[in-house]
Amino acid sequence: MQTLSFVRPAAIATALAFIGLHAQAANFNFEGDIAYNTDVVKVAFTLNADSSPVRLWTDSWTDGLNFDPTLTLWIKEGAGYSLVAANDDDNTIDPTQGFYDAGLSLATLTAGQYLVTLGAAPNEANGTQLSQGFALDGSTPTLISQWNQPSHDINANDQKGTFWRLNLSGVDTAATVPEPAAAALLLAGLSAMLLSRRRQ
Amino acid sequence: MGRPQRQTRQTPRPQGTNRREFFKRSGSAAMVLAAGPALPIGQALAATHTGKLFQHGVASGDPLADRVILWTRVSSPRNAAITVIYTVATDPALTQVVLRGTTKTNPSRDFTVKVDAGHLKPNTTYYYRFDAEGSSSPIGRTKTLPVGATRHLRMAVASCANHAHGYFNAYRHIAERADLDLVMHLGDYLYEYGNGQYGNVRPTEPATEIFTLSDYRQRHAQYKRDADLQEAHRQHPWVIIWDDHETANDAYKDGAQNHTEGAEGTWQGRRAAALQAYYEWMPVRPVDTSDLTRNHRAFQYGDLVDLVMLEERLSGRSQQLQATIPVPGLGNLFTQTGSFADPTRTLLGTTQEAWLAQRLRGSATRWRFLGQGVMFAQLKGVAAANAAGGGLFLNSDQWDGYQPARNRVYDILKGANGLPAVNNVVVLTGDIHSSWAADLSQDPNNPTVAAGGYNPLTGEGSRAVEFVGTSITSPGIADPQGSTAAFLRGVNPHFKHIDLNQRGYMLIDAKPNRVVAEWWYVDTVASISHVQAFGTALEVQDGSNRLAPSAQTTPRATAPALAP
Repeated sequence: MQTLSFVRPAAIATALAFIGLHAQAANFNFEGDIAYNTDVVKVAFTLNADSSPVRLWTDSWTDGLNFDPTLTLWIKEGAGYSLVAANDDDNTIDPTQGFYDAGLSLATLTAGQYLVTLGAAPNEANGTQLSQGFALDGSTPTLISQWNQPSHDINANDQKGTFWRLNLSGVDTAATVPEPAAAALLLAGLSAMLLSRRRQ
Repeated sequence: MGRPQRQTRQTPRPQGTNRREFFKRSGSAAMVLAAGPALPIGQALAATHTGKLFQHGVASGDPLADRVILWTRVSSPRNAAITVIYTVATDPALTQVVLRGTTKTNPSRDFTVKVDAGHLKPNTTYYYRFDAEGSSSPIGRTKTLPVGATRHLRMAVASCANHAHGYFNAYRHIAERADLDLVMHLGDYLYEYGNGQYGNVRPTEPATEIFTLSDYRQRHAQYKRDADLQEAHRQHPWVIIWDDHETANDAYKDGAQNHTEGAEGTWQGRRAAALQAYYEWMPVRPVDTSDLTRNHRAFQYGDLVDLVMLEERLSGRSQQLQATIPVPGLGNLFTQTGSFADPTRTLLGTTQEAWLAQRLRGSATRWRFLGQGVMFAQLKGVAAANAAGGGLFLNSDQWDGYQPARNRVYDILKGANGLPAVNNVVVLTGDIHSSWAADLSQDPNNPTVAAGGYNPLTGEGSRAVEFVGTSITSPGIADPQGSTAAFLRGVNPHFKHIDLNQRGYMLIDAKPNRVVAEWWYVDTVASISHVQAFGTALEVQDGSNRLAPSAQTTPRATAPALAP
């Protein structure tokens, strides 16, 4: 699976500010660009209380300017994540959405740690466990800018844009999850720094 | 021969500057006078297979060796995205599935669905179906193009199908021919007029002339609900170009005869609306999504035929010139002088002209077909050799109105500037609601072949041939005795067949040694009828570039089953 994602620093800063300031449910938004059709973005959030109404939605499709996103919601159970809900197209969550934006509105989520995954439709979850991966895992990654997404409009040759934006409403904390590859790079970088310091 | 169509025997009185105005008026009047009680509209609209969500049928088009466009439309009441599944198989029951996928549609594209189904095998018949929200579409049938050695192409050629002028009986006959490889449609697939403005057999939707995106979509939807048209789409892949009426009558790059700037919006806006609806509703693969007016494209049919499809209205055409020389009985005619001789005027535009030259010179196929909108052959009302002024021409909307541009195409055929000649070109044309076959000569009234002329007895001097198909429904000139045709043949000796009376379609049967054109005629368009008759056949033999008598060809002994 191609897992690199590029989250815009400004979005992280905004989100972090929210995390620092708000102890109760709040709104967050994250945005960035994916490169490949196999990319899956992960955003973690927490709910402190049961029966919390939560809304999650994308608004980045923009009439085909960007790729058609799909969302899956997972809850942490033990060491893994289990499927809660998934949606490819629902533009009724927020007025800013377009026809192929994704969205979930959940009235009564239990307290816990959650994960939202955002991919390019139809890269859906393979099963009820996150560890089972996604439909396009193992396929040759294709650049979004060169991919004819199955839902694209032949007459417009659209959905070549890589930008995504995910909005969360009613959650307590939220942050993007560095992908393993990115985390590995980070660790490698830190190790290198430590090594170089020791050698000095 | 089919029996003559029910029309009044009024004398044609051409008016205005172009012949199509003349066709239009005479036909319209004839229909008013001849209109008997039509069958209930619902009977013609009731498609054989009409799933609740798929009222507009299925269609396929622009086949290549490995892919084909599949089309449908979902009639959804929801203001939301709809996921659509498509299935492609090699058998009519769809048990041998070779491709299955999902796509989507939504209200912003009028719920139309278009898939470029790939990874297919060449020269193979496929069956396909769409599914959405628990409903299934009718099963369609399509076919990919062959590659390499190819012995045979058999196709129908259609044009000029005005829903308001009658029933699409000819489309039904095309649908039933299981041995066709494809259907070529040369434009005027629909008409822009309002109720009663051009034809009175069936009412138009919307009732008014169409200007806006919503208007054009409604008109496309009305046509696609016709059972006969649906069936012709469902059984064969189509290769389609537009002519003028898909936007407005006598369209050119910057306007149209039937467009009043301001009162009917801007031309740019109207053209954009027409083209958006066109690409939404037609099984065509866009050539350039950043400029939808560019629609010239080609399809290589193995080593047998290069199908070269031209765009002659919206991308480059200069405005038509007015004919101003009155001739009793014929209206206003024109000579090839003044602005008519202006070499900067163009019908294809510079880009397309260059592409055409490259395509014609570069193709390695036995034959080159030019699928195009308006008559290429000269058509005069008064004869004269070029050296004697060239005579008087009838219709400034066809290539006659763009003589220098046409000469540039002849330069390609003849091999000017040291380049080799291009042989075995067959021009296929619609537009004028009648049947014609012509040897193509730049000086057809000059009998001295050595001086660039044409010998009407032998065909010497001809550089290529043209077959003009009649209309599906749109009216021609009432010429029951053939006197008008005889007059025109007298003036224009390069025409070997003219029939102005009958509606129908052409059948093209191409083999390495010859291309046969057959004209097939329906008995009527005033009611639903199932009678067709062979009209005549002409052919062109390999390397001859001129017409020869022919005979009706034999249907293939075996053909893939029609879609159930």
